[in-house]
Amino acid sequence: MKYVLPLTHPLLQTVDVSVKLSGLQILDNVSIGVPEGVVTGLIGPNGAGKTTVFNVMSGFVKPDAGVVRYEGRRLEHIHPHHLTRMGISRTLQGVGLFPSLTALDNVMMGASSKARAGIVAQALAMPWVDRERSRLREQAIAVMTELGVEGEADRFPSELPYPIQKRVALARALVSDPKVLLMDEPAGGIGAADMKDLERLIRSWVPERTVLLVEHHMELVMEVCDLIWVLDAGKVIAAGTPEQVRNDPAVLAAYLGDEGA
Amino acid sequence: MHKLMMLPGSRLVQHAAIALAIWVALTRLNQSVDPLLSYYLALVGMYATAMFGMTILVGLSGQVSLGNGALMAVGGYAFALTSLNWKTVPILGLPWNAVWSVVFAGIFGILVGLVIGGLAARLKGPYLAGLTLGVAVGVPAIANRFPGLFGGENGLMLTVPYPQGGYDASAVDTGPADTGADAIPTEAPDLPTEQAPIGGESLAPSDLLTVDDLGGAVSSAAPSVAPSDLITPDDLMGATGAPIASMPAEPSALASAGTDLGSTASGGVDAGSVDVSAVGGLILEQWQATLSITMACIMGFVALNLVRSRQGRTWQAVRDDSIAAAVSGINPSRSKVSAFVVSSLFAALAGAVFAQLLTYVGPGAYGLGLSLSLLVGIVLGGRASLLGAIIGAVLLVWLPVVVDRLSADRGWPEPVTNNAPNLLYGLLVVLVVLLAPGGITGTIRQSLAPVLRRRD
Amino acid sequence: MTTFIDYLLGGVSSGAIIALMALAIVLIWRSTRVVNFAQVGQAMFTTYVALTVRDATGNWIIALLAAIAAGAVLGLVVHWLVIRPVKRVDTSGAIIATFGVLISLQALAGMLWGGDTRGYAPPVSNDGIQLAGRIWPFSWYDVLVIGVTIALVIGLTLLFTRTNIGLAMRASAFNPEVARLSGVRVSRSLAYGWILAGMVGAIAGVLVAPTSQVSPNSFDILLVFAFTAAVIGGLDSLVGAVTFGIGTGLVISLVSGYSDSSNAPVVALVLLALNLLLKPDGVFGHHHSRAV
Ligand SMILES: Nc1ncnc2c1ncn2[C@@H]1O[C@H](COP(=O)(O)OP(=O)(O)O)[C@@H](O)[C@H]1O
Ligand SMILES: [Mg+2]
Repeated sequence: MKYVLPLTHPLLQTVDVSVKLSGLQILDNVSIGVPEGVVTGLIGPNGAGKTTVFNVMSGFVKPDAGVVRYEGRRLEHIHPHHLTRMGISRTLQGVGLFPSLTALDNVMMGASSKARAGIVAQALAMPWVDRERSRLREQAIAVMTELGVEGEADRFPSELPYPIQKRVALARALVSDPKVLLMDEPAGGIGAADMKDLERLIRSWVPERTVLLVEHHMELVMEVCDLIWVLDAGKVIAAGTPEQVRNDPAVLAAYLGDEGA
Repeated sequence: MHKLMMLPGSRLVQHAAIALAIWVALTRLNQSVDPLLSYYLALVGMYATAMFGMTILVGLSGQVSLGNGALMAVGGYAFALTSLNWKTVPILGLPWNAVWSVVFAGIFGILVGLVIGGLAARLKGPYLAGLTLGVAVGVPAIANRFPGLFGGENGLMLTVPYPQGGYDASAVDTGPADTGADAIPTEAPDLPTEQAPIGGESLAPSDLLTVDDLGGAVSSAAPSVAPSDLITPDDLMGATGAPIASMPAEPSALASAGTDLGSTASGGVDAGSVDVSAVGGLILEQWQATLSITMACIMGFVALNLVRSRQGRTWQAVRDDSIAAAVSGINPSRSKVSAFVVSSLFAALAGAVFAQLLTYVGPGAYGLGLSLSLLVGIVLGGRASLLGAIIGAVLLVWLPVVVDRLSADRGWPEPVTNNAPNLLYGLLVVLVVLLAPGGITGTIRQSLAPVLRRRD
Repeated sequence: MTTFIDYLLGGVSSGAIIALMALAIVLIWRSTRVVNFAQVGQAMFTTYVALTVRDATGNWIIALLAAIAAGAVLGLVVHWLVIRPVKRVDTSGAIIATFGVLISLQALAGMLWGGDTRGYAPPVSNDGIQLAGRIWPFSWYDVLVIGVTIALVIGLTLLFTRTNIGLAMRASAFNPEVARLSGVRVSRSLAYGWILAGMVGAIAGVLVAPTSQVSPNSFDILLVFAFTAAVIGGLDSLVGAVTFGIGTGLVISLVSGYSDSSNAPVVALVLLALNLLLKPDGVFGHHHSRAV
């Protein structure tokens, strides 16, 4: 049984994607659409394959069958590092900051696709390298200010509390000014106050940005999402508005006894 | 390093000022010390140049490579072959001089670095180390394969274009040293002849190239063929102690030429005033040191720019977490290859300087020992720091000297003296990895961290 | 054709020795996920021990046993003092540390025994056997080397399939967590891996000594060959190490025979590079190594 919503033109979608890893069927004919300008949720019990969907969308995992479409075009041979240039940004499950770079440098790394100065120009410290640097730095500071972490710019990730690290990681994803934001468990390990902030933030991005959110905290998902896909054991088992999903018996069955719910 | 950011002006100005200040200080030092110290200074400059590249490759990019000694060989041979064989610059048709040889050494370094780096970027830790180990052993062996071109085991002799910087092709001794070691002048008046000579029969007992190997004044041909089906390192390393040891210092063999690296490097020394022992105020070792210091300062400037640029952070980011780097829009493979190519350029230029310090290129000089030396130096000094590279370079030159002095005082037997530096290096490397992975600079920085906040 | 066969024959015993050294590297990789670049340094050191014992006793077998014992001790010491403490600290650290051990051992050997190249007389003739009216490039010593290698491979196979220690080692290598849960003392199994590797390496060292001579770095090139064989064999596979060790020996013998022995390191390098190029995901697939 496959759920297909009447989405006319999803900005980003997987079409009949199947993935096998180490002989296991991780994703089985998964078709998920992410409409433009709304917040879409992707939920499911642990190990359902949510992160793998992100990996397929961002080119880390090549699907054995099916395709990914973005802005109506088929994405073939996508490399993960091409994504930000195409306007797609992704946060990683956990934190994924660079431990030996300061928070500011971490955030500036997120703007890599905007940097133009080549290695020779940098090796010779050409003046325009300095100028580009200050420009990127200002942008990074601006995003960090938006997330309330500008005061931690010179700290290393290991010196920061976990919720702050997650904000810095979010700033790194935002600094490329993405059209689409793929967020893998942004609320993992953060407290209630931070969760409220996150909720506000996510809502403030739409409709300029499009968001695909993987999250275990149901209150957040139900509050923030316009549309939800439910994945279980590599298959889409339900989709719809928060209201519809909440009352779907298949979803209840999938989550029954699962501590992730 | 922390206060630098407070200085006014662009990075170009800041970094150039640092490099220039160091250059001036070292040039002064070079002119006021005795020739032996000048020679040590030259070695430090050469090691530092190569190890700046190691800082980038091993430290920032996290690729443990043993191939950089071989890449120095590429630079050394490119320098030697172009200066021995080319009279004019191809296509441009300009008269040849050593600056061009250095340029070509750099170009060859970049090309070979691209090939090896392209392969290496796909490899993780131990595979990379093993492959580059193969390169370290295999590339010098290539010299043996083509004795006509590379001079085989005996290598190629060069004349130092001292004093006027006579890098004029016609004046360079054109014959490969196929006559063997006999042709090499064994007089080395300004070198430490009292140091334990390492001759042909008692091969360099160690794998690392020490100052002893370079300073030993007696030369004799090494036995070349070992009667076995496995190649023994004798075949590869046999030449270490022998031909390198000599320092032809006869001004008669030297050229007279116009403007070039020589006069530029020595800060506009008057080319006309030729003297046997001191030309333009510079004796041979001082001139060699000037060359080496100049190269080290120029490349130190480049390295400083890179390390403190976005590229430097990109290398670190990929090393820390290549997946997070890719998600940030960085191409991890390209980042790794670029680190390899940059470090190859540094190695090749250092190799060209080394060729001029030894006035010789040969497989023995650029063997596995040299690669290991670079790794030791960078680990001890501090893997991810340019200052660490400099400290490491000083250690590589200074430690054997100290051991020698101790040995002379205490009357240690020769095998102990010869091997003590390497034993120390080996044990220190293990200890540093276990107890202070940041090396000397890393440890100092760590203990100062609460005081100084790194700002950029 | 006869020359071809001669060259092949000439490569079998050096291939066997490469196979043993590759086995040692694989044993350690399986147990600790470290490539022990100090392996030939340990073998060189234990060969010096054997040389000393042999000078004293005149007995090849006693010398071999002394080397094996020294190899076991050295393997354990390197594991406990260097590898165990370093492994988790940083990824480059373990690699660098093994090179530190290599440098130390070579210097120490030079101090203790001098830098001169020493011969190591074979226990049986190393001259070509005369048979059917010609001298074959195959000696009784080659027979001995191959015999010892076969015996060792059989012994290791039995160890890993028939004994508790061997099974525990395999379990620990395959999946340490599961092994630990099922009551295997994993850290002890890892140490056994290092001891075993030290012993195998020591045997390889003594066997190669008559052909390569003994000096502090006369085994360096063997490291390159053994690493090549181990990597081509998959680094995890004992069978692979033996097969490709002998294969590497044969290829090198052929290349040396038809061209020049100084080509051997370059050939090893080319083999290694080709192999690493051709299986980009098999050995070092990095995409799946970390959950994204
Ligand atoms: N490289 C891999 N090889 C084999 N199995 C994998 C691999 N990566 C993930 N898996 C498995 O795929 C399933 C889905 O993983 P994932 O997408 O991370 O789930 P989720 O993010 O929904 O918790 C899990 O059972 C996981 O163990
Ligand atoms: Mg997940």
